[in-house]
Amino acid sequence: MYACLYRPQQSDTYDVNRGGRAGRRTHPDRSAGSELDAIAQAFSPRYERHHDDLVSIDVTGLERLFSRPERGGPRSVWTTIGEALRREAAVRGVRVHVAVAGTCTAARVLALARPGLTVIERGGEAAALAPIPIAIFLRSHVSSLGAASSNSCVETFIRWGVRTAGELAALPPDDLAARLGRPARVWHAIARGEDVRPLVPALEAERFESSLDLDWPIEGLEPLSFVLTRLLEPLSTRLERRDRGAAVLHVLLRLVTRTSTGAGGEEPVESREVWTRRLELPSPMRDVRTLRTLALLDLESHPPSAAIDRVTIVIDPTPGRVLQHTLFTRAHPTPEQLSTLVARLGAVMGQDRVGAAQVVDSYRPGAVATRPFKTEHPPSGAASLRSRPDDGDVWPARGDDVQSLRAGLRRCRQPVPARVVAHDGHPVRVTTDRRGFAGGSVVRCAGPWRTSGEWWSTGWNRDEWDVSLTDGAVYRIFQDHQTEAWFIEAIVD
Amino acid sequence: MPLARTDLESLLRARRLDRTLTTALPPIVNDEYAVAATGITTLDARLEGGFPRGQLSELVGPRSSGRTSLLLQMLAAATARGELVALVDALDMFDVDSAAAAGIDLDRLLWIRGHVVTNPGLCRDLNQRAIEQAIRAFTLVLQAGNFGLVVFDAAEAPVAAIRRLPFTTWLRLHRIVEGRPTTCVLVGAEPMARSSAGLTLRLGVREPGSAGEPRARFRARLFDGLDLEARAVRARRHDDVRVSLSTAAV
Repeated sequence: MYACLYRPQQSDTYDVNRGGRAGRRTHPDRSAGSELDAIAQAFSPRYERHHDDLVSIDVTGLERLFSRPERGGPRSVWTTIGEALRREAAVRGVRVHVAVAGTCTAARVLALARPGLTVIERGGEAAALAPIPIAIFLRSHVSSLGAASSNSCVETFIRWGVRTAGELAALPPDDLAARLGRPARVWHAIARGEDVRPLVPALEAERFESSLDLDWPIEGLEPLSFVLTRLLEPLSTRLERRDRGAAVLHVLLRLVTRTSTGAGGEEPVESREVWTRRLELPSPMRDVRTLRTLALLDLESHPPSAAIDRVTIVIDPTPGRVLQHTLFTRAHPTPEQLSTLVARLGAVMGQDRVGAAQVVDSYRPGAVATRPFKTEHPPSGAASLRSRPDDGDVWPARGDDVQSLRAGLRRCRQPVPARVVAHDGHPVRVTTDRRGFAGGSVVRCAGPWRTSGEWWSTGWNRDEWDVSLTDGAVYRIFQDHQTEAWFIEAIVD
Repeated sequence: MPLARTDLESLLRARRLDRTLTTALPPIVNDEYAVAATGITTLDARLEGGFPRGQLSELVGPRSSGRTSLLLQMLAAATARGELVALVDALDMFDVDSAAAAGIDLDRLLWIRGHVVTNPGLCRDLNQRAIEQAIRAFTLVLQAGNFGLVVFDAAEAPVAAIRRLPFTTWLRLHRIVEGRPTTCVLVGAEPMARSSAGLTLRLGVREPGSAGEPRARFRARLFDGLDLEARAVRARRHDDVRVSLSTAAV
């Protein structure tokens, strides 16, 4: 059995005789939804809020709580439940229509159509709905049912002269479906008071939080790792049950600081503060070892300043990853492995030294940027496991054919200052004081290529040359026009 | 002489000492799970597929010998196969524009930049520490596993700094990568690991020209590229491999 609560708006009175709305509809009060939720929660955890002013409750199983044997049989139980719902609403200062019926659809339509309390026994839904005008189906509360997303069917029924739900229920459903499609069949079921979909209970947002008070404050990260494992294991289990992964991991450490007042014999004063760290995880994960390692690595870089006497872990959940393994692509490191790896590398090399290279939209030579390395990579469409040609192809014959590849540069992030002897505007000798850059005479050179930019800020203005030296190396050098100084910028390799 | 060698081998087999024979080593399986193609068909053909997976291989050569060009080509080929690759750039000299021009999918390249102090002053060991730090990062990447290609680039590092590393470093790295589907490549001026099962590809100018004559090509007022030669100097079956390459300027 289902009960439905409808909270009518003041301006939303429905004139059954006229078959239309009597007044302008106003937006329902925002708090109405929460009030109806509270009423529903007081009776059953299985309730669904269809709209801010309409809630359906599964009241099956409440008979034992509300049965009054001395007052009659089972019929009075549903009436008792309905009256209890109205009383609860009245206590909260909410005026509601209450309907109790064997199906959720019937209860909802009756609550919308009839004020006060309406109780329909199981099996009597179609008869109870029969006199109700189908114009009421035009309301969004009803049309939100199942696949009946369009009101055009109802308008067609009205044009056909069908006025009540009973008249609609009497029509042959197959012929309706043949003319108007699947929505017509759904409307036909609604007119008969049949459910077109089950009740979907609203679930309260679950909070993934775990906390542990320690008998003695701990110092150092090694004992903390055991505490983190203890806290994370049940959280991981709960996440798995809900098919959720951690999107953000909050680590809250309550630190105890003891300060001596200086006076002899007095106890030191304890002060407590909370040290909070927030880890945004690159992909949803719930592996305990990974989460613990990431938390510890973060705390290694940002260690707490005092002993810890309380540890709290809060996880912001997100839907878990759906993995479809395949035999036709290479195995990649899992997001957990990559996240841990990037965190470890960040601890060793520095957070800004690890990532994915990014091409910068700039003409500045050597402009470079990095971005966080993605931990999830879709299989490449062009990827192939083959490293050999097809059977029909042939490897190139062993011969003198020369394969060409694109020359790469090795860029000096800080250009190496150089001494350049120029003759007739061309560099003829390049030397430096830097170890490893001995330099030598210029054998061939190409240039100059003038490049400049960003004159409005710290811009550049220089002539670039590609020079081949007697030491066998090819360098890209430049002369800065502002300082007239020469630098080695890159090595052609 | 061949008869003497045959006798010696049969004697070793009789005494169950044939494991020391190179002919008794397991044959190199030439498939996509055993080797990683470089993307240069001529070189791949001569190397019977490419660089071996699960071994420490090396790209060595002097400055402007084409190490970076070949490295970028290998990274591009690996990312084109859909593999994840990692580059431990010990001296932070990676040029992103060259990489993009070579066709590397930068989203699949984990770039780890080393800390190098340009002017260390009195603290001469700062850069040595940077090399050791890069080795630690390299170890972490190899331990993570499942990367297609992992490169340790110390091509411009002083040879003395590399030699100061304990030799057990390379043995340890070899143990980590052994049996994994990862191609591990060290780039340097001199061979570092000297792995017997890996491939060491020495790059240099194509022909020894006159003294001080590099094989850089210039066309009119443009630098056109380099003429190179790749030679497998240490491998089980590639001792005579020589491949001519040329680079085209970016």
